[in-house]
Amino acid sequence: MTGAPEHPRRRRAFVLCAVVLLGLPLICALLGPWLADPADPRSGAYAPPSSDALLGTDFVGRDVVDQVLLGGRTVVLVGGGAAVAAYIVGVPWGMCAAAARRRWVDEVLMRPLDILLSVPSLLTLLLIAGLSRPGPLVLGGVVSLIMLPEVARISRAAALAAASGPAMEAMLLTGESWWRRNFRYLGGTVLPTLATDFGMRIVGALYLVASAAFLGVGVAPDAADWAVMVDRNRPGLFLQPWAVLVPALLVTAMSVGLNLLFDQALHRRRETT
Amino acid sequence: MTSKLVPVVSVVDLRVGVADRLLVDGLSFDLHRGRVLALVGPSGSGKTTGAAAILGEFPARSVVGGTVTVDGKAVSAREPVPPGPVAYVPQHPAGALAPALRIGPVLREIARRHLPAAELGRRERRVLVRAAVASALRQVGLPDDGSLHRRFPHQLSGGQQQRIVIAHALLARARVVVADEPTTGLDAVLRREVADRIRVLADDGMAVLLLSHDLDVVRRVADDVLVLDRGRQVEYGTAEAVLGRPSAPLTRALVAADCGRAARPAEAVTVRAADAATPRAAADAVAAQATEGPYGGLPDSSSRSVDGLVVSELSAWYGGRRRADALSDVSLRLTRGTSLAVVGRSGSGKTTLARCLVGLHRDQRGSVCLDGQPLTASAADRSRGELARVQYVFQDARASLDPRRSVLDQVARPAVRLRDADPRAAEDRAVRILAAMGVDEAIARRRPRALSGGELRRAALARALAADPDVLVCDEITAGLDPLARDAVLDLLDTQLRVRGLALLVITHERAVAARLADRIAVMDSGRIVDEGPAAELLDRPTHPLTAALLSADLAAAPAP
Repeated sequence: MTGAPEHPRRRRAFVLCAVVLLGLPLICALLGPWLADPADPRSGAYAPPSSDALLGTDFVGRDVVDQVLLGGRTVVLVGGGAAVAAYIVGVPWGMCAAAARRRWVDEVLMRPLDILLSVPSLLTLLLIAGLSRPGPLVLGGVVSLIMLPEVARISRAAALAAASGPAMEAMLLTGESWWRRNFRYLGGTVLPTLATDFGMRIVGALYLVASAAFLGVGVAPDAADWAVMVDRNRPGLFLQPWAVLVPALLVTAMSVGLNLLFDQALHRRRETT
Repeated sequence: MTSKLVPVVSVVDLRVGVADRLLVDGLSFDLHRGRVLALVGPSGSGKTTGAAAILGEFPARSVVGGTVTVDGKAVSAREPVPPGPVAYVPQHPAGALAPALRIGPVLREIARRHLPAAELGRRERRVLVRAAVASALRQVGLPDDGSLHRRFPHQLSGGQQQRIVIAHALLARARVVVADEPTTGLDAVLRREVADRIRVLADDGMAVLLLSHDLDVVRRVADDVLVLDRGRQVEYGTAEAVLGRPSAPLTRALVAADCGRAARPAEAVTVRAADAATPRAAADAVAAQATEGPYGGLPDSSSRSVDGLVVSELSAWYGGRRRADALSDVSLRLTRGTSLAVVGRSGSGKTTLARCLVGLHRDQRGSVCLDGQPLTASAADRSRGELARVQYVFQDARASLDPRRSVLDQVARPAVRLRDADPRAAEDRAVRILAAMGVDEAIARRRPRALSGGELRRAALARALAADPDVLVCDEITAGLDPLARDAVLDLLDTQLRVRGLALLVITHERAVAARLADRIAVMDSGRIVDEGPAAELLDRPTHPLTAALLSADLAAAPAP
């Protein structure tokens, strides 16, 4: 993405903004469980903010503040972990397909993923969760499996032009090592695209986790989890918006902050000579 | 005579600086209706910056001084010229055409926007638009019967694309056309066509600003010439005065380099005031260095047989099932210490031939042998020694370099990988080779983005030479270089050829390159070699009509085949 500011002072403000956006949800998620007091007595569902519950209560009458503080950890661990796992497998996969000099290698690598892509993601989720005991680890694995074809596709597309371009051919003719050609050159080419994709991919993973929870797979349907909160508190959106807005904003802030930081880092990388 | 008229564009004391460097320092000129002004100078002299200024385009973070007036209105980065009066024809016209849109609708769209504002019915407007499009196409010499309207830009030849861009300018009622290197990379037939087109445009009342290295074209079309050197204006006057009786040393050097084209200019005047050594001396130094055998363990070249490169019955094609032939039964022989120039129109298979030789085109049949040893069709299957012995200089130098590593690093690398050289020694040698071609170490330490097109071409050549090859295949390596830089490159190649016994295959559009370097010339047409023989014979007494058209000495001669 473009749009990183040119002026140093504006750039500092930009980085600060990104750090705040990313830092707030992360602090909430990592330190929240110690600050929360889950033993609070329950009150009525969708109660408006009061001195007892600063952000009101949720669909079963729990304090939204506590839920927000408790609900970040699974989101960051399962969502983030699943996205990272999908990237670790999908990026080399897609790049191998792009760099393949024989067309059939490309086909053999990509076609099975296309089949996976054509199966609705919830179906895969239900199927695999039904076959094994649901838990955070299985859930993370299933979510990353669902994201794998898309990650592999986007890596292949980002690498394709460069993989057969003159620079790659020139490196081949000058006897450059496989590692330098494919990892340093090709990897460097796809990095900006993948960095942008990564932030959005995490959000996708979060909401997949939430839909799984709704179906009773993985996370409990009333679990303290931002994504589950957004999903379950939606019917009361007009009675008590905070139970939806706060977790939704935290998830958004995390993804936007991550994207801005990636942009900034890539921008700086381009400028250093 | 020009002073009586009001100029369309007037530039007074223009200064454009970026960081600590002045790109343009005190540029002043006027553009008049019906006249062609040529901006001439080595690459990096500020031609493009000066020309972009009249569109109100300035480099990012630049400091601008002086005034630019178009049609009586001041132009600045904040207030660029409105769309219409100034048209820009880029070096690669394909970049100015939307690849996914057909030619006709775009022409009509532009015509519609620039119709006179009078209240008209829809039908009348449509008739007017059609008439305007037809007349613009006629004016640029394309058929106006609508036969081109359904085509996409990639279905047109380079010359046709350029004319479509000019037709856009005509429809937008442009009064000034800026043509950036319009003849670079075109074969002789097309060059002539484009030059004539520019002259006709000016004769119809357009003011033209021509940026060019090609003094033949400048001489043919320009009324006035302005010579730039490192951002400074060194000479400005009518074409006859500046090119006929040059006073500034740079102009003299450019003209001399250009005049020496036809013959081999052993005593070519190279008077670039600021350069300590002449390019030739530097080139010799590098060649001498190279012959000392800078990397240990190299087999002595005299002990090898003098077989060279032998290509027999080479055919190549593209695509799988619907296969399109690119080469059919090409046979040629290239002994060490000699050079072969391959000429031909665009699409005649020159580049495919080169790619087959270096192992970048897998779909081939026939044999390529180096000193009796067959070379595999794929570079991936060649040993490091074989890779080092056959090197290729890509046509698109910028695309062939990694944008994220410094140019020097990339030039030094082949010697490390292919000749087991010490990285430090390889870098020193890379610096020397680059210096011989006029690229300073400080510039080479930057990334490709910071170098001009001409500098990158030389860097790409330096990278190939750094591998110490026996066979060098060069694809259009002098296109877009100014005469001085071109001579430096040709001198360097010539010494490598004579002193080191390099076998050289050059693909070129330029007669000058063929005349200066080639021992033999091969002419290609639709994948076949149609004419081949000693260079002198083909240059002076061509018998084949295509040879005559492609290699004719000056722009005026020989009509298209």
